[in-house]
Amino acid sequence: MKSLLGFVVAAVVLSAVAFMLGSYQTDIYRKLLLWTTLALSYNFLFGIAGQVAFSHFTFYGIGAYAILILLFQVGLPLPLAVLAGIALCVVLALVVAIPATRLEGFYLALATLAFAQLFIVVLNEGRTVTGAAGGLANYRLPDVFGVRVTGPWYTVVIVLLLLGTLAVLWRLDRSWFGRACRAVRDNPEAARAMGVDVARTKIIAYTITSAMAGVAGMVYAFVDNTVNPPIFGLPNSFLLLFMVIVGGSGRHAGAIIGAALLYLMPFVLSPLIGHHHALVFGVVMVAVVLFQPKGLIGLWDALMARRRAA
Amino acid sequence: MSAGSAGPPQASSHRSAQREGTRVNTAPLLVARGLTKTFGGLLAVDRLDLEVHAGEVLGVIGPNGAGKSTTFSMIAGALAPTAGGLEFDGASLIGLPTHAMAARGIMRTFQHNKPFASMSVRDNVMVGMHTGFTGSLWSVLGATRGAARAERDAVRRADELVAFVGLGEWRDADVETLSFGQGRLLEIARALAARPRLLMFDEPAAGLTPAECDRLGEIIRQIAGQGIAVLLIEHDMRFLMALADRVVVLNFGHKIAQGTPAEVRADPSVVSAYLGDLGAAAHA
Repeated sequence: MKSLLGFVVAAVVLSAVAFMLGSYQTDIYRKLLLWTTLALSYNFLFGIAGQVAFSHFTFYGIGAYAILILLFQVGLPLPLAVLAGIALCVVLALVVAIPATRLEGFYLALATLAFAQLFIVVLNEGRTVTGAAGGLANYRLPDVFGVRVTGPWYTVVIVLLLLGTLAVLWRLDRSWFGRACRAVRDNPEAARAMGVDVARTKIIAYTITSAMAGVAGMVYAFVDNTVNPPIFGLPNSFLLLFMVIVGGSGRHAGAIIGAALLYLMPFVLSPLIGHHHALVFGVVMVAVVLFQPKGLIGLWDALMARRRAA
Repeated sequence: MSAGSAGPPQASSHRSAQREGTRVNTAPLLVARGLTKTFGGLLAVDRLDLEVHAGEVLGVIGPNGAGKSTTFSMIAGALAPTAGGLEFDGASLIGLPTHAMAARGIMRTFQHNKPFASMSVRDNVMVGMHTGFTGSLWSVLGATRGAARAERDAVRRADELVAFVGLGEWRDADVETLSFGQGRLLEIARALAARPRLLMFDEPAAGLTPAECDRLGEIIRQIAGQGIAVLLIEHDMRFLMALADRVVVLNFGHKIAQGTPAEVRADPSVVSAYLGDLGAAAHA
């Protein structure tokens, strides 16, 4: 009950913000919410389930392209297109995950990198279906039950996406499934001895989080109203990884902090130091990895612990 | 919790009833017949027969390289036997994946503690309850009343188990803050969480202080007292002899003797193969 109230308050506050912003700020705000959503689900995959996968941003792209192709080329109505898009993400996630569960660490990273690169190749070679290098543009969100969802109201959709994602991950994390995921990450052999089916747990974690990234991608498709291959390239996959590490992997709050910090940093720093903001980014990354492996949330924990002790 | 009281909180009354009456009359829970393991040309375990009954502590001893650990791994499902049969409660265990053992009621501890390092003591124990959660992922996502109740019950039982092994004060602690001996106790609580019918200990006394050994012995006795079958593989002769109801002695992969601790101690082949050396060392 208490957590439900928290979600309602968060929904109201985050939505209210949407109605106070100009168009430039709206764009930044929407992308901040989307990055946070992605960082949350990637945190479950990387931080909690311990899978070093670079395919998360790819599924974001698959979701975005899938919804557009299904709506405007296949001609499905919106609800069906969403369901079919989710189904596609689930199938592709299984195709990647089932052979990949045999791989660990470095090799899983390589396999998912290859998948991510393959996606970019498919986008570029997809002719009119994917729009090739130019991508897809000149479309708009179909009316939902006769209502045109635009402006701040579309931002509210993104807020609900973020909170829905958080709610699902929160529940999963505090269940036998979340414990099994952490157990598999910490010690697969001991997890097996506890009756955890390690391969199955990995596949489910990968598939659920990848499908969630796909759904976020569907929402993203109507933010810029254009999608093209460079958006879904590797730089953003790595940025996502950095967000989770800087914030504190394995923690929802860490993912939120990391996404906010790394996404907003260029906007704050660019006016002050121009392109040198990339240097600051690099220094922050190295400093966190070296001195604060538990991320910024770990710093916060230490602060709180000291306060309690005092 | 005082050491002498209830024992593992999850043991049900009908299991304790199995301890009534003589063991000879009850069917063995675990039966190994002709269990054999070869590694290339090396015969690690040779046609081993072994039975464990509910409520008894069966000790397996032998010098280094006797095949104790190989035997343990085969029964725990971590190593496939080259030949032989392995039955638990009448059903074959051969070919079952390791993770299927827990659901059958077979749990183990690790000689080198293998905690889930990033989790609290309580959460570690709750991972042990994995097979006890029967609700689907959908019921988790839907936050059904059943899922919430299962979670609450699990927390309560985890706290009971943590208290039973004497880690009550540390239940919210990170496992990394535990001592080695406490880590061993956590292994036991985690294994008990699955409501095992057979609990296998892989050299549980290794690395413990004498006081911790005494406490461990007490806990193992209470576990067996609740009708759980205990298979104990141990290097520490004194610890095992004081604890086991029956002892199987291995040497170079062969069973060279079995019986009560007293019988085994008096067995000349054991004395020459194993105890003799140890005895001589102890007197030196």
